[in-house]
Formats: sequence, C-alpha cells, structure tokens
Amino acid sequence: MIKCAKVKRLLSRYLDKEADKADTELVESHLDNCLLCKQELSALSQVKGIIIRKQRKSLPQDYLVCRLREEIAGEKHTQGSFSWLTGMGNLAHRLIPVPVAAIALSIAFLLITSNQPVSKYSLEEHLLSGTQTTTETALALILGEQS
Amino acid sequence: MNEDILCIERFLAGEEEGFEALVRKYQDRVLNIVYSLIGRDRESEDIAQEVFLKVYHHLSSFRQRSQFSTWLYRIVMNTTYDFLRKRRNYTSDEGAIKNSVALLEGPREAVLTKEKAEIIRKALGSIPLKFRAAVVLKDIEGLSYIDISKVLRCSIGTVESKIYRARQLLKTQLLKSEGGAI
Ligand SMILES: [Zn+2]
Repeated sequence: MIKCAKVKRLLSRYLDKEADKADTELVESHLDNCLLCKQELSALSQVKGIIIRKQRKSLPQDYLVCRLREEIAGEKHTQGSFSWLTGMGNLAHRLIPVPVAAIALSIAFLLITSNQPVSKYSLEEHLLSGTQTTTETALALILGEQS
Repeated sequence: MNEDILCIERFLAGEEEGFEALVRKYQDRVLNIVYSLIGRDRESEDIAQEVFLKVYHHLSSFRQRSQFSTWLYRIVMNTTYDFLRKRRNYTSDEGAIKNSVALLEGPREAVLTKEKAEIIRKALGSIPLKFRAAVVLKDIEGLSYIDISKVLRCSIGTVESKIYRARQLLKTQLLKSEGGAI
C-alpha cells in the first residue's frame, strides 16, 4: 500500500499520543485495512511496554545527600586552604595590592617591550581546554586578557 | 514546579536544605536516566552525584526561563555524554547482545526478572546513544516530545524520528523472532 511508509513514520508518535487529530485519523483509518502496519504498531507497543516496565533503581532517601555533603565540605575545606590567594580573608585583602601592583608593572613592561600579537583566547578558556600550561603561555594569555 | 522554585529560592537565600530537597526529589529520576544510558550501577551513582554537584555550583545561574527539571536533565545528558566520551563506549559489545537474544529464545518461565533487566540493559546499550537518549527520556522518564526537544535542544520532528528509530532497533534486539516477546 502506498500509505504504509507514511503511516509507519507516524506510528511511534501515534503510540505516544503525540499525533495531532488529522494524523491520528489517518493512522486509524489505515490500520483498519492494513495488517502489516497493525503488526508494526503492536511490535512498537511491546517494545515501549518493555522499556516502561523496566525495573527502576531507587536510592535510600539521604544516600546522595550525605555523599554530597561530604563532597561539598571537602571542596570548602580545600578552598579554605587557598583563601590567601582567592582573597577570602581580611589579611589577604590587605596584602593583595602589593603583588597585584608588581604584576601590573611587569605586564606594562612586557606590553611595551613585546611586539607579539596579543591573544583573545582567555586564560580561563585555556585552563578549561586541559592543554598543558607553561609559564610562557600563561603569561601570554594573561597579557591577552589585560589588553 | 513551584515546589522546585521554592527550593531554589531557599538555597539561594543560604539554606542548604533547599538544595537537599531537590536532590531527594530528583535523585532516583536522575539515577534511572543515567543507568538506562550507561548500564553500570556504581558509575551511575557517581554520575548522579556529579550532576547534583554541578547543580549546587550553578544553581545561581539558573534563569528560570525553562523548568528546573529541563535544566537538570540537560546537565544529566551532558555529564553522561562526557563520561561515555571518556570511556569511548557509545555502544556496548555485540557478544553481549547475542547472549541476550539467546535468552529470549528460552522458555518463558525461565526468563527471570533479573535476566529480563539484563536483556533490556544490553538491548539499550546496543543502540546509538542519540536514539537511546530520546527513548530513555520518553519511556523511562515519561517526558513529552516537546520537553525532550528542550532537553536535547532539537526539533520535535527530530525527537520523533529518534524515538522511532530507537524502538525499531530495540525491536530487532528484543523481539528477534516473531512473537519472541519477553
Ligand atoms: Zn500499512
């Protein structure tokens, strides 16, 4: 039958009750007269039924919450160790201007002396890319960000 | 839906309990999607944990333009794809599938629940990930085509054809011979 190919493409959608009124009518009137498409629908329906009835997994209510608490506490602990760098502590806040000024001067010097093209590729992107970072590339990328 | 937004707002106001309520609500759904996609118990739990860790860190950037569940399932998909990419394991081995078909040919009573689960796991593992993802969101999680299209960022027509292809391939695996149902 000419219609079979068209109807077969609609069967999955029809099965999921996602077909619109016109398509539903087309499928249903075709199914009344076509055993092959009826069999195809029945097979698709069986497959859907098998997946739907698939055994579900279930975790104890607080299982993942406890694992996450531990993980997050671990992260916070690690971050805490670097708070002097990230500027979290008061002391760090007061001390940070010194190295920042030194870095800014170095960058200014390098910008003046260097005639290499400045990259728009950020240091963050570079770190996320997982490529090995050498001092040179890090410096070049920092310069890129500053420009 | 509103319940999710309330949890998010509580979390953003500094109450960890808001986040934990979301974990409790969605943990089994996330786990079942991941497990249906990768077919591995222990690693599914690890991926589920990673998903919620990402939620914890990025919840402040959730803009509520979509439902929380859509946003969450996108993270589930991305995290699972990353895992599979690293493992270079988009499809499972064919030997396992032959094994599962042999089981289907045995006496109906002999096919125990555990074996059935194993057959389904292997059949799902045998189909390409792009089709598997769509059928899992439909038949395991019960999402509508429009919601699946939002999670997978594709058209409804694409969702439809992916689900259709998935079911055809699963049919070949699960119902090898006529009437050879589980
Ligand atoms: Zn037909």
